[in-house]
Amino acid sequence: MRTKRWIRCRGVSGLVALFLCVVATRLLAGQGAAPSKERADDAAAFKEFSARVLAYVKVQQTVESSLPALKPTDLPEMITAHQQALARKIREARPRAKPGDIFTPAAREAFRHASRAALEGPRSANSRAYMKPGAADSTMRLVVNGIYPDTEPITALSPALLAAFPPLPVEVAYRVVGRTLIVIDVKSRLVVDVARLILPPAS
Amino acid sequence: MRRRGVLSLVLSAVVTLGLLARGAADFAFPLQANSVRLAAIGDMGTGEQPQIDVAQQMVKSRVAFPFEFVITLGDNIYTGSQPSDFEKAFAVPYKLLLDAGVQFYATLGNHDTTNERFYKPFNMNGANYYTYKKGHVRFFALDSNYMDPKQTAWIETQLREAGNGDWKICYFHHPLYSSGRFHGPAIDLRKVLEPLFVKYGVDVVFSGHDHVFERIHPQKGIYYFIEGASGSLRAGNLAPSAITAKGFDTDRSFMMIEFAGDDMYFQTTSRTGVAVDSGVIHRTIRSASGGVAHE
Repeated sequence: MRTKRWIRCRGVSGLVALFLCVVATRLLAGQGAAPSKERADDAAAFKEFSARVLAYVKVQQTVESSLPALKPTDLPEMITAHQQALARKIREARPRAKPGDIFTPAAREAFRHASRAALEGPRSANSRAYMKPGAADSTMRLVVNGIYPDTEPITALSPALLAAFPPLPVEVAYRVVGRTLIVIDVKSRLVVDVARLILPPAS
Repeated sequence: MRRRGVLSLVLSAVVTLGLLARGAADFAFPLQANSVRLAAIGDMGTGEQPQIDVAQQMVKSRVAFPFEFVITLGDNIYTGSQPSDFEKAFAVPYKLLLDAGVQFYATLGNHDTTNERFYKPFNMNGANYYTYKKGHVRFFALDSNYMDPKQTAWIETQLREAGNGDWKICYFHHPLYSSGRFHGPAIDLRKVLEPLFVKYGVDVVFSGHDHVFERIHPQKGIYYFIEGASGSLRAGNLAPSAITAKGFDTDRSFMMIEFAGDDMYFQTTSRTGVAVDSGVIHRTIRSASGGVAHE
């Protein structure tokens, strides 16, 4: 009777051990696979992001071609007039533009990963320091199709961060405000899209 | 391997620089025929009285030292991008210089809007970064707000193609070295730019951003100046350190520079007309036999 119970006990223990072994193996295998899958997902998300940026730039170029070309001028009012007319016409061309049109959920995740890689860890202190002084007010109100205020300084962007992000055409640029990443139309100063909580919090 | 790397670095260096810092009393610009004469200002675009005072001092100084152009080290216009801002922070303060035909070659600071590149008096021709040559001096104006791989590749190409015959002067807003307490050095940017500057023999770098004047001891053979007090000032903000050769943080200032052959003469002048620093940097074109910058 005692022997039978002992055998049953050993059998259950063996099954539990076997189960744990299988789970551990799966987990370990998963650990190896996750980063490469993440990398593939991020690459695909960046590709989609770049395609959406190009689609925006096409709209911008079409709109701008309907305006007198902005050339170097002695008259600042010409620069202001071009900026304002371009902003107005772009708004008209994409009246329903909203957050996420360009920063898709997958793209936001990919930018989070890229930002973390560039701005976390001991070597990132220099990047943080470079981006902090004179940075834009993190409480600034940022809305798609709104104008980036001309009285606010811009945050210098870490070269490491820019190298980790997909390159942008000259018509647009990245801007950082606090932890928010935005794509801005350089000439009209329109906020093209906003992605919040992208940069890791300062430790 | 490491020794070979250092040796190769030394062998590849083509320029040695020596600085003779002089007292203000015995300093004089040579005003040589065919020399390149300029002024440097930074962080000036407030539109307030101290900026106007500096501008007036520049006009006065130009009588004795007729500089032909001015480089700006960013934060050209603090107040915004309306036409009135261009007037108040630039066209009015520098009217006498502009009327005299003095050209300005601007770079963008973190308070500037990128559309300033279309303002003709800034001579940026619609570009955030650009290069030009005056006599035997090649200037590279960079946008340190946005040093992306594209700009990094551009500056490397430009520095390489410039060869070794001319002076190579880079200028941009964020300083690679600084003893300013408020901002300090842009080490992140230094990691990207300094190797290129060393590799391609940049002689002198001018920056702003910290609202003080500072001359830095040569770093890896390159001279660095910060002139970020031509309008704004953070009085007492300089924490002189081992890298500081000379500092001035009690009033606004601007720099005057003359490239005469292989010598660069410089003088920093306060808004009241006091010379607060001056000296000569000597540049010798070398064969690949090495040499170290020294003071």
